[in-house]
Amino acid sequence: MREIVTIQVGDYANYIGSHFWNFQDELLGLAEDPGADPVFKNGLLDMDVFYRAGETQQGIFTYCPRMISIGSRGSLGSLSTSGTLYGNIPSADSMAIATWTGNAARSVAEPYKKNLFLQSLSEEDHDDSGIPASDSKEGDSSHRRERDKDRIECLENGVNSWTDYSKVQYHPKTLYELKGSWADVNKFDDYGIGRDVIAEGSHAEEMNERLRFFIEECDHIQGIQFIVDDSGGFSSVAVEYLENIADEYANTPVLLYNVRDPVSHALPINQRGLITRALHDAVSFSKLASFSKLMVPVGLPSLRSNLSPLLHVKDEKLFYSSAIYAAAIHSISVPFRLEPLRPSTNSTYASGALEIGEIVHLLAGQARQNPVTILDLAMPAPSFTEENNRGAILKYLNPLTPEIGEDDEDPYAVESVTVHGALHSGCNRALISQVKNSICAEYEGRSIKLKFLHLSMFLCPLPIPLPFPSIFTSRVGRHGELLEHEFEGGEPKGSLDVESVPIAARLRSSKAILPFIETRYMNLHKYGLARGSRGDELLRDWGFGREEVEDMGENMSRMLLALDPLSEEASSDSD
Amino acid sequence: MSIRLLNPNAEVLNKSAALHMNINAAKGLQDVLKTNLGPKGTIKMLVGGAGDIKLTKDGNTLLKEMQIQNPTAIMIARTAVAQDDTSGDGTTSTVLFIGELMKQSERCIDEGTHPRFLVDGFDIAKRATLEFLEKFKTPVVMGEVPDKEILKMVARTTLRTKLYEALADQLTDIVVNAVLCIRKPDEPIDLFMVEIMHMRHKFDVDTRLVEGLVLDHGSRHPDMKRRAENCYILTCNVSLEYEKSEINAGFFYSNAEQREKMVAAERRQVDERVKKIIDLKNKVCSGNDKNFVVINQKGIDPPSLDLLARAGIIALRRAKRRNMERLVLACGGEAVDSVDDLTEDCLGWAGLVHEHVLGEEKYTFVENVKNPRSCTILIKGPNDHTIAQIKDAVRDGLRSVKNTIEDEAVVLGAGSFEVAARKYLMDSVKKTVHGRAQLGVEAFAEALLVIPKTLAENSGLDTQDVIVALKGEHDRGNVVGLNQHTGEPIDPHMEGIFDNYSVKRQIINSGPVIASQLLLVDEVIRAGRNMRKPS
Ligand SMILES: Nc1ncnc2c1ncn2[C@@H]1O[C@H](COP(=O)(O)OP(=O)(O)OP(=O)(O)O)[C@@H](O)[C@H]1O
Ligand SMILES: [Mg+2]
Repeated sequence: MREIVTIQVGDYANYIGSHFWNFQDELLGLAEDPGADPVFKNGLLDMDVFYRAGETQQGIFTYCPRMISIGSRGSLGSLSTSGTLYGNIPSADSMAIATWTGNAARSVAEPYKKNLFLQSLSEEDHDDSGIPASDSKEGDSSHRRERDKDRIECLENGVNSWTDYSKVQYHPKTLYELKGSWADVNKFDDYGIGRDVIAEGSHAEEMNERLRFFIEECDHIQGIQFIVDDSGGFSSVAVEYLENIADEYANTPVLLYNVRDPVSHALPINQRGLITRALHDAVSFSKLASFSKLMVPVGLPSLRSNLSPLLHVKDEKLFYSSAIYAAAIHSISVPFRLEPLRPSTNSTYASGALEIGEIVHLLAGQARQNPVTILDLAMPAPSFTEENNRGAILKYLNPLTPEIGEDDEDPYAVESVTVHGALHSGCNRALISQVKNSICAEYEGRSIKLKFLHLSMFLCPLPIPLPFPSIFTSRVGRHGELLEHEFEGGEPKGSLDVESVPIAARLRSSKAILPFIETRYMNLHKYGLARGSRGDELLRDWGFGREEVEDMGENMSRMLLALDPLSEEASSDSD
Repeated sequence: MSIRLLNPNAEVLNKSAALHMNINAAKGLQDVLKTNLGPKGTIKMLVGGAGDIKLTKDGNTLLKEMQIQNPTAIMIARTAVAQDDTSGDGTTSTVLFIGELMKQSERCIDEGTHPRFLVDGFDIAKRATLEFLEKFKTPVVMGEVPDKEILKMVARTTLRTKLYEALADQLTDIVVNAVLCIRKPDEPIDLFMVEIMHMRHKFDVDTRLVEGLVLDHGSRHPDMKRRAENCYILTCNVSLEYEKSEINAGFFYSNAEQREKMVAAERRQVDERVKKIIDLKNKVCSGNDKNFVVINQKGIDPPSLDLLARAGIIALRRAKRRNMERLVLACGGEAVDSVDDLTEDCLGWAGLVHEHVLGEEKYTFVENVKNPRSCTILIKGPNDHTIAQIKDAVRDGLRSVKNTIEDEAVVLGAGSFEVAARKYLMDSVKKTVHGRAQLGVEAFAEALLVIPKTLAENSGLDTQDVIVALKGEHDRGNVVGLNQHTGEPIDPHMEGIFDNYSVKRQIINSGPVIASQLLLVDEVIRAGRNMRKPS
């Protein structure tokens, strides 16, 4: 077994995670469902990599994500931190007080109202037959469709927490609320605040204990999938976590996604806010990078315009944008769960298994030392028909990493591409060999060759679970295929009309990341290091001495140098 | 800022408004925490919107659960929580004291006194009270063997403010014994060497002291024994799992055969480490009925577990870092980072090692050890919130014992100190002070009475009667506190009601500091920036 432990830190990380686990849950359900497309039943995706089997004290077996989620107080909505699986349901007898015979006062907050979707989930749970209530009314499919429509609608209109659309049951050790003592939740927006909160009480210890719990269970952990919302105070929480991981589990590789939602890109109103933001970005990047071998910055200022003409993403809704990023992270994780086959034999279902450690090594340490990697996504992936065999996939892959440059010719570039559920024509799946030949041909056709390309392929597409935003335009078909006819002004489609989509995702280590690092490097200089700079005091407030800030600057300039040896003069000038 | 320049009166107005806001915030917080105080206080159960339950009787936890918005209240709360961080107790008293200082000040200010005078008086009164505390405290001699009875009295006093009597009394022995177990003469007491472990168990509230260690995990091999007597314990931090090395991960350049070879070589290295452990086991356990247990901070993978199991060894992986230290203190031997030079001297000893399983949760007890210098308090409770509350109480109890040993003194409780200190301030200090600062001394003295008053109120007694009775006795030269059942004066010494010296000291110290800041509003505004970290 090659287990992965997932860590999600911060609100947006949990939004993405929520979709991610919904995908996994959907896959688990489809594998058991006799009526499902056989493509979901080949058993080649080893779900135990992400899940753990357990047992409650009452002897009931459980299967839960091997995951830790850190969020701020109140971010869990109607979900209780201990979950419902392990019999912690508040009941009359839990209101009894066993430790005090004197006066008692009970203060009961008004229960959070569960939305229609969550209500229907708990109805299913309580239905002992195990059959969803709607199934018992055989043939009443229109009734069922109406019901599903309502359930989807309630999510379209009001998601206030990532738990509002989660259909997964979590282990009691999974959910952890960071209680900053009386810190304003809305002001949890810079590196220093996170640092203060984590220094208080026993947060760090409790977080580390939970990680130890999950890691102790692993026979042979392959790595940690770490998602952090680095737009605010959670960066420093993650840094604290990563520092412990580097210390305690030195040989366990971490694949770090630092994510941001489109809303967080809105510009601060005043100069002070701008400087704080610029320094936060620089510091948080530098600290996160120093504790991870491979980091993938994710989060565009807008997904509406930049992503794909086939998608319709509402930037202002976290429920929407997070679904896109979750799809990409899911795809990247596919090879971690494939059975490693002998390189020579080619399966008809899958090929290109890769462990986290291998992908980290491949991307960050193969051609040159570059820990910052770009994530690209094609959703839905184009079909591999004969006509558009060439040049298609690369054209459709769009970056999810912000602030990057053109992918101009970089002979040291290393890429890892995963394609799953690819179609050939109409709804027919493309053969693994077809996909492979097509992509290889495409790369071969480039004038400057890559240093290295890894290719993973899998027959099974991304299943679209019911709780999913309506992001597809009317041109997308039931299996993610491109429909011939365009319906002018057709309604956007969601999970009722699209069952699954083929996906291609790519991690690439390329010079194109230079601008991303440069901005942070320059800002650190301008606001934090240059004589009389305005951020000096701020950085001290965050607990950084001059020397430490200088170290950060040096680390970043080393990264720049590794990517672009010619930049040496330029960067030493700016001192 | 600009408004200030244009309209000088605005400042005065704002200042007085801000002052009253501060006073109200302090009073508000006091009201919330008041009912907490003492053995007759009210326990609070907070049920959140998602059904999460918190159960608390101490000020510290309650404050942390509250969503305080008012900056003044936050400042007071931070001071009180800091009080708990340093001395482990007295949060409620701190909040009450600050609130009462503000209340007393309000009266004077309404009568026209400038806050400055009050602040000066506070300062004088504070220093005088601290001096008085030095005379008032009851010294405790800590020889080689500390006086267990006095430790128990302090612990019992604290615990009975958090748990019902029988449970508190049971825990009293446990916390005292735990601290005595880990104490080394002339060294600071490291309470981390007392592990606090819990188990969820329906219908069962029970706590016991395990002389030794309880780990929250078990062996990971079906053939390993679940119970073994006379065990050698090897505490180590050595990787016993196959890890792909960097070179190996670079498989892209090497052919399959080369790779297989490298994998095999790496595996061999791990096996050799395991073999060294097995060799030591064979050496020390052959021809006797002794057992061998490995507790490793790093991982142990299935092939290694197999080898160990076949050799009859019990092995646990991924032990808590802190347990490495605790294990050595409990069992002896040393924590080794390498298996290269293993000898019998590295090994610790435990009379009994056994595993307890509750659903997926496993616990390993390492017990019957010789001369333990580390131990475990095992708490059982029916649900998480009950366990959490008992845990909080246990921590308070441990801190009170540690404080007593380190303070080498205790202070008579049940309000006796406060009444005595008030009398001292009024009779002996006030007259030495010139001018209006006297009012500050007086306000301070009256504010001290908030403790006995609230204790009386929480016991359902008439506050005035109680205070009159207490003052009377003190005037006659009897140091008394209040009987929480009858309100009559009692001798706290006779009743064994003692508080920690350092806790009292800190309350007296920090209360007036914060109150003064709140009274001199300008400073509050300036202090605002650094409010995140009170020193
Ligand atoms: N048996 C008793 N009779 C009267 N007073 C008592 C008795 N036991 C303790 N007290 C008093 O109760 C007060 C302590 O109460 P409590 O522990 O609830 O509050 P605290 O220590 O100020 O704050 P916290 O414990 O919440 O941090 C002390 O003043 C102590 O002298
Ligand atoms: Mg107390």
